[in-house]
Amino acid sequence: MIRFSLVLAAKDLWLLLRGGAAFAQALLLGLLLIFLFSLAASGEEAVGGSGAAVIFWLASAFCQTLIFTALYAVEEGQGQRLGLLLAPVPVQALWLGKALAGLAVLALLQLVFLIALAVFLGRSPEAFPIQGGAMLALADIGIAASGSLLGALARGRGARESLCSILLFPLLIPLLLGAVRVSSMVLAEAPNPALTAALGGEIRSWMELAAAFDAIFLAAALVLFPFVYGEEG
Amino acid sequence: MTYSPPSPASKGGCRAASPARSSFLGSRAAGVSMALALTGGVGMACCQWLIYAYAPLEIEMGLVQKIFYSHLPLAWIGMLSFLAVFLGSVAWLWSRKPFWDELANSAAEIGVLFTGLALITGAVWAKKAWGVWWAWEPRLTTALVMWFMYAGYLILRGLGLPENRRAVAQAVLGIAAFLDVPLVFLATRLQRARHPVGIMSSGDGLEPEMRLTIYACLLCAALFWLALLMLRCRLGLGERRAMALARRREEA
Repeated sequence: MIRFSLVLAAKDLWLLLRGGAAFAQALLLGLLLIFLFSLAASGEEAVGGSGAAVIFWLASAFCQTLIFTALYAVEEGQGQRLGLLLAPVPVQALWLGKALAGLAVLALLQLVFLIALAVFLGRSPEAFPIQGGAMLALADIGIAASGSLLGALARGRGARESLCSILLFPLLIPLLLGAVRVSSMVLAEAPNPALTAALGGEIRSWMELAAAFDAIFLAAALVLFPFVYGEEG
Repeated sequence: MTYSPPSPASKGGCRAASPARSSFLGSRAAGVSMALALTGGVGMACCQWLIYAYAPLEIEMGLVQKIFYSHLPLAWIGMLSFLAVFLGSVAWLWSRKPFWDELANSAAEIGVLFTGLALITGAVWAKKAWGVWWAWEPRLTTALVMWFMYAGYLILRGLGLPENRRAVAQAVLGIAAFLDVPLVFLATRLQRARHPVGIMSSGDGLEPEMRLTIYACLLCAALFWLALLMLRCRLGLGERRAMALARRREEA
């Protein structure tokens, strides 16, 4: 199953990165968001850590919508979805393959966004590098797990991007709240030692919440995905 | 586990509500829902006397505190509706009986309405109590996020998806949304807390008259909600039956 998922993810990545407009579209959208916010902030005080974190995760969330709708659009024509379903592997392997591909693209985009944050907003990671990296990984896993499940719900629809956003954004709120909060600490100036311990405790709480989100949605996706993707219609 | 073709029930979409099989469309169920509506409606009217004449006036909030007697039942019944959506969604995925799909949809409609009203009454309360119409507080935020999630759930119904696909999508979302609720609450609680915690728990400072009034309001609102749910569900099943008959006539 894992091997099949990896092959599927590699195929999707190849299609998305090689010639697909979806990747370029997601990248441009994210960069535009960061650029527009930096324009809005120019002339005023510099954007703080929390502002930069909000911009970063907003760009990530919008891009994720584009990525997962594009990933499921790949097999929409010529009965290719049925072909995938006939493969002698559990249906969940398809969900995992799409989630892995989405996760890889999202990580790639976020790397570019981090550079853009440094260039346009003058913000780069200053504190809690390990916790910040772990929270980024946890948030991305949650986003990929739920995005791969709900992206399949929106497949085949004319307005699939907006549908996916409407369904996904409210579900992601707990995860995004945590990601924004932790990222704002990472992107802010390094705190004094007395404050570091207190902030470390708060970061741990958010990471626990993100881990719980990941566990719930990974389990839910494994159970629910066959209903979403495996049936006709 | 490998992919197996969809079952006959799922192949043909949702099974049409068969008039012969659906006892929920019978006159007995109609009588029960009417009796519940009447009891709940009259009870809610009587509760107005309890609210304005029997329960004492709260010293700090004054008359605005009376909103509490509507706000709490609306919020709790809204949550109960979303629980019904979850249970209906699970039952539909399990059994594929149209009744469960209708139940989940009806509960979502009522839940969105009740939660919306709870948010409005809560905003009026917040203006008097905290001086602002809205505060980013765990329960308020959770209610608003739920409202958004279930509004999205209702939008799915109007998208014109094939019947089976629409029902699957709604059931999956109904389950995922309910699983998300505790996380939303925990996340917003980590963020900040302001709501009067512990209402209806021991040490909440409620006078016995106030407690009795709120219990009565809750009971009557629950009866009224049950009646609404049954009526909306019957309407939905009746609509399916009419559509099935129309299709049969077209085919003939």
